[in-house]
Amino acid sequence: MLADLQLRNFRCFESLGLEFAPGFNFFIGRNGQGKTSILEAACVLLRLQSQRSATLGSVVRFGQKSFAVSGRRENHRLEFRYSPLRRKIAFDDVEQRTLEDYLRIGRVVSFANTDIELIRGGSEARRRYLDFLGAQIDPLYRPTLRSYERALRSRNALLKSSQPRPREIAAYDAPLLEHGARLSGMRTRLVERLAPLAAAAHRDISGNGEALQIRFGPGNSEEFARDLENSRARELRLRQTVVGPHRDDIEILVEGQLANQYASEGQQRTVALALKIAQSRIFMTEEAAPPLLLIDDIFGELDPVRRNALLQHLPPESQKLVTATTMQWREEGVEGPIFELHDRQVIRR
Amino acid sequence: MPGIGPRSAERIALWIVQARGDQPEHIARAIAATRESVRPCPRCGFFTMEEICGICSDTTRAADLLCVVEQATDILPLEKTSAFRGRYHSLGGRISPLDHVGPDDLRIKELVARVEQEKFSEVILALAADVEGEATTNYLVELLKPFPISLTRIAHGLPAGGGLESADELTLYQALSGRTKL
Ligand SMILES: Nc1ncnc2c1ncn2[C@@H]1O[C@H](COP(=O)(O)OP(=O)(O)O)[C@@H](O)[C@H]1O
Ligand SMILES: [Mg+2]
Ligand SMILES: [Zn+2]
Repeated sequence: MLADLQLRNFRCFESLGLEFAPGFNFFIGRNGQGKTSILEAACVLLRLQSQRSATLGSVVRFGQKSFAVSGRRENHRLEFRYSPLRRKIAFDDVEQRTLEDYLRIGRVVSFANTDIELIRGGSEARRRYLDFLGAQIDPLYRPTLRSYERALRSRNALLKSSQPRPREIAAYDAPLLEHGARLSGMRTRLVERLAPLAAAAHRDISGNGEALQIRFGPGNSEEFARDLENSRARELRLRQTVVGPHRDDIEILVEGQLANQYASEGQQRTVALALKIAQSRIFMTEEAAPPLLLIDDIFGELDPVRRNALLQHLPPESQKLVTATTMQWREEGVEGPIFELHDRQVIRR
Repeated sequence: MPGIGPRSAERIALWIVQARGDQPEHIARAIAATRESVRPCPRCGFFTMEEICGICSDTTRAADLLCVVEQATDILPLEKTSAFRGRYHSLGGRISPLDHVGPDDLRIKELVARVEQEKFSEVILALAADVEGEATTNYLVELLKPFPISLTRIAHGLPAGGGLESADELTLYQALSGRTKL
């Protein structure tokens, strides 16, 4: 478990230290008090990335140049200092040159109201869902993704120039294909592993017997090189690379129908929960410690039936950081310390 | 100055102003002398104070072997391994559209001219293993394919995403001895 957490110049907090309990920890306060920021700090500490922003620059407290987070998890001390020019990580007080040991310590699954975008939003949200998970399972996932994106952006920059130079574009074909094929393979296997877990989680919480199916929708066929070759005319016209993993998607079907088109909002919320529960269950099949669950603004908003279903089916071994505006919804049996946020002060009850 | 942040710059400036001895003057003269006498070798791009650098003019080195690197500074770690006794060619960078660097900004034309004139039997491409290094390698392969030379690249046991500078001697030695044919 995450035993404690310290933040410095992180979002709205100048300096804050917290000690957590195993199981549930509740953060209560009005909007804008910094609840999500505390969850974000836990995520940034364990994963060096935020569950809500693509970059860490916006995390630095206004008017400051850097932030720091630190904490203890599974008896290891983690520390991360970030400034736009430099990142430093320390594992048990030893500065690290590689991320491997550090990132092995903690895994995170984040539940938020915005998860419904996984079903009704664009494909980018679904790729991010896979990437956030993939980076926690396979140490090669993130470097592969970074290399693919770099090759893609380079290639697109060449395609956008006023006089595209075919030789230079072709020079970027190989890295695009190589890292792209590796990334596709990783994502394909991820979705294969997630599919049965998501279906089971959906059965658990929907209570109505509707079947959830998820399938990988690749942005290229197994013959990526040939796809790329065949798309030359189109990419010159559109001035960007038109096939590849940056077009990957997950198809989501409820009772055989596309969930973004046919499912009600309530059904979509249930699917979103199932996808996140599936994520947390994937970790239980690995040999790692159970993931830290960040549950942001969900419990207060769900109807009692779904809330109960969710409570029953979250991995019981997992530590949970839960935010809400009030505690009125809390049922018997859900015990844990309550942290009240008010005027940048956090009081533990 | 690269590698010097605002804090260090401030401290250096203060020292220049307040230093008791004439060390700052010594450094200033050394910088001026370096600027005047050290220049890139017109043939390979390595540093030299002569017409042609010590490596290009060393007749004991194999004249039919050429090793292509991104930067002149990449030659130093390669020389330390003693695994390579041929000639070098520094490109002065790599093709990187995101940094607005294209082939014309690099010493690629000069490379092709050398391959035409100097009759190498083997050209070894020793560029970084990251995306830009890979792309530049591919670009050069296409360009040099028509010539009757054996084209190889160093084996990439190099740390992923790392250039030659960050590789240790042993890794570099292995990379050089285990080069693969292109
Ligand atoms: N980089 C930042 N520096 C300072 N304040 C910030 C920064 N980013 C966000 N905030 C502020 O932090 C406050 C807390 O945000 P948040 O954690 O989302 O609150 P909550 O989840 O409790 O609604 C907001 O008022 C927001 O304006
Ligand atoms: Mg919030
Ligand atoms: Zn020379």
